Amino acid sequence: MFFLLAIVACLLACESVNYVPLVTPQMAAARQGRRVDVATLREGRTLLVHRCIECHTLPRLWHYSDEDWPKIIHTMSHRASLKPAERDAVVAYILAVRSQNFVTP
Amino acid sequence: MKDLTVPILLLAIWPATAALAGARHFTYVYEAVTSAPGSLDVENWVTWSRTDNPQRADEVDFRHEFEFGVTDKFQASVYVADWFYAADPEHSGFTYSDSAVELIYNLTNPVVDPLGLAVYEEIRAGDRVFELESKAIIQKDLGPLILAYNATLEAVWQGAGLQDRQGEFQQALGISYEISQRVSVGVEMLHEFVFPEWRDSEHIRNVFVGPNISFRHQNWFVTVTALAQATDTPDEADFQLRTIFGIGF
Repeated sequence: MFFLLAIVACLLACESVNYVPLVTPQMAAARQGRRVDVATLREGRTLLVHRCIECHTLPRLWHYSDEDWPKIIHTMSHRASLKPAERDAVVAYILAVRSQNFVTP
Repeated sequence: MKDLTVPILLLAIWPATAALAGARHFTYVYEAVTSAPGSLDVENWVTWSRTDNPQRADEVDFRHEFEFGVTDKFQASVYVADWFYAADPEHSGFTYSDSAVELIYNLTNPVVDPLGLAVYEEIRAGDRVFELESKAIIQKDLGPLILAYNATLEAVWQGAGLQDRQGEFQQALGISYEISQRVSVGVEMLHEFVFPEWRDSEHIRNVFVGPNISFRHQNWFVTVTALAQATDTPDEADFQLRTIFGIGF
């Protein structure tokens, strides 16, 4: 019984463990001089949670800097079968989340 | 040569942009995540099993699998050839067993949905064997932790005229913890209910449990699981060691 309760608690807490927040209009406008549309961010989020976990679990978005993320996604884009536009969408989503201060160190 | 016709044709028509289909964290337990569209992966399986009851026998099974990502939610695989080497007091040698087609359709995502779900169907045919296998795959990713559960129904017809029938229900549970982006360690457990001639008169139950480790780098991965039998069923392997080596093109 305790085991089942622990599993349920874990599942309920999953949103905080897998931190990939839904896209909001505020997120699209957040980065100064780098405005991207909501559709692109939504595509980036979808690709992030589908393609990256084919090989590994999702890393926390605060583990790497804004400068590191584009390089990381570029390096792994072939393995994840990401086209250039898809790769840019994933990077845009990650940077938009980070710019919203959703990500805590 | 006949066995190679299908994979050669598939390779010939596959786009040059094909990439790695994904890395496995388990060798007995399936994950709900499917391969990216356009990806191609070749996986080679080697399973060594030792049986000591009632007499010692060793067997090494080989599988060569081509895995294709068809859409974001659908993947197809071809088991070109399953074959084995058996060594026991009465007979030793290599034997071709069968070939198979495997289809997996992903329904929900293990990261953003409460549970990741996928359905699996496998059709296997070979020399005096025909098998249907259906699976429900459940997975949840919690940070660096992957929990996976499979419920499998299997129907086998084998022997001369395919007259020997057997059913099996299997539960499989896997837990994998990602130490780094390249290395994961975990545990896998199998719980089998075997029904010879579709009956439960012999009440056969098998449990296997053991650790695993997975390593991935660039376009390849290798995953190894060692399982020991926790029950005492005659003619079932007391120890199994499975390795899957996958490489993307």
